[in-house]
Amino acid sequence: MSFDNINPDFKEIAGQITSIGLNWHGEQIVENSRWNKQFIEKTIRDIPKPQGKKADCAIVVSAGPSLYKNNILARIKATGFQGSIIAIDGSYVRSLKAGLVPNYVLTLDPHPTRLVRWFGDPDFEKNMEGDDYFSRQDLDIAFRNNSIEENRRNIALVNEYGKGSKLIICSTAPRNVVERTRAVGFDAYWWAPLVDNPENKDSLTRTIVRETGLPAMNTGGTVGTAAWVFALMALKIPRIAVVGMDLGYYKADTSYLQTQTYYSLRDRVGEDKIQEYFPEITYPATGEKFYTDPTYYWYRSNLLDLLAASKSTLYNCTGGGTLVGDGVECLEIEDFCKNC
Amino acid sequence: MMSELLKGNFKVQREIKVDETKDEAAEFKKEFRKKALESIGGSMVFVEREKLFWDESNLNEKSLQKS
Repeated sequence: MSFDNINPDFKEIAGQITSIGLNWHGEQIVENSRWNKQFIEKTIRDIPKPQGKKADCAIVVSAGPSLYKNNILARIKATGFQGSIIAIDGSYVRSLKAGLVPNYVLTLDPHPTRLVRWFGDPDFEKNMEGDDYFSRQDLDIAFRNNSIEENRRNIALVNEYGKGSKLIICSTAPRNVVERTRAVGFDAYWWAPLVDNPENKDSLTRTIVRETGLPAMNTGGTVGTAAWVFALMALKIPRIAVVGMDLGYYKADTSYLQTQTYYSLRDRVGEDKIQEYFPEITYPATGEKFYTDPTYYWYRSNLLDLLAASKSTLYNCTGGGTLVGDGVECLEIEDFCKNC
Repeated sequence: MMSELLKGNFKVQREIKVDETKDEAAEFKKEFRKKALESIGGSMVFVEREKLFWDESNLNEKSLQKS
């Protein structure tokens, strides 16, 4: 299953995201890693291996809109799933609100002001000034509202449940995330991002690993993929499902207008050709249509490549989105849970 | 060399305005890239497409790929 009718400009831009990202993040991830060295007490090498059903199956909870559209968290809870639950930073609070306390929470992004919000931001108003990132999010409507009150509730919730929870934290984490999670009392296990080939002497990965002594995990460019790699390689869990991993937009209720690239595209190519820049895919189980943009397309390609390298199967219980392809088995979350 | 010799040895009476030439295609791609990056959340640079896990002890060994 693949996208049809992809404009060559689209492919070129998606292909350039790696080098753009390296230029954009390169210095920051090394600098953050150097700073965080002082806080590293345990690494993902030290993480206790899960036992029983928690060693057999895992669900990685990403934060795509399908999570609430398909009522996934409540459905997981209803199955009485006994396996491991791995939340990403963006789905952590939402999981807690749904009554699911994740066994692991994974965080990766080095952004200096945005990421801390997923843990309840003590400097919420200052950090949100002039930044519409969350108001553009389709991840969680509560976050989109940018509410001070919502942030207060999140602080209280994370304070209540975070202490002692296993935080799988990347060496690139920004200072405020490190401060906030230390203040809460998370049980932190550190890792380095595998962002390039460490066999090369000037590799960023090699620099960070040498600097910190941490093992490096591939991220595929996004925290959801990093969580899947963690489950597979660090926890050695053989059956892993992902939910909320849309890697695209719902065509039925997300207009091109709501995407980041709409206006620049419309001015350039006109309304009649704009569809070529939002390639579509039909989710096979439901027949529902989704479209993608260069960033999601890049994430998806990375994950499919890593999946092929791992020779494993990924169970996609998202119920929609663009993550279909070799090595991906789409099924309902209940069907995954009943075999665990 | 010649341009150095000729430079600035006379003044034009009327100021000549040269229109800035714009490579529209390049501008568009730049803008598109910027917008695409703005939509990134929870992300990290990524160029390695095969290794899933790597430790410094692997420096002289093969990377830990799941077999």
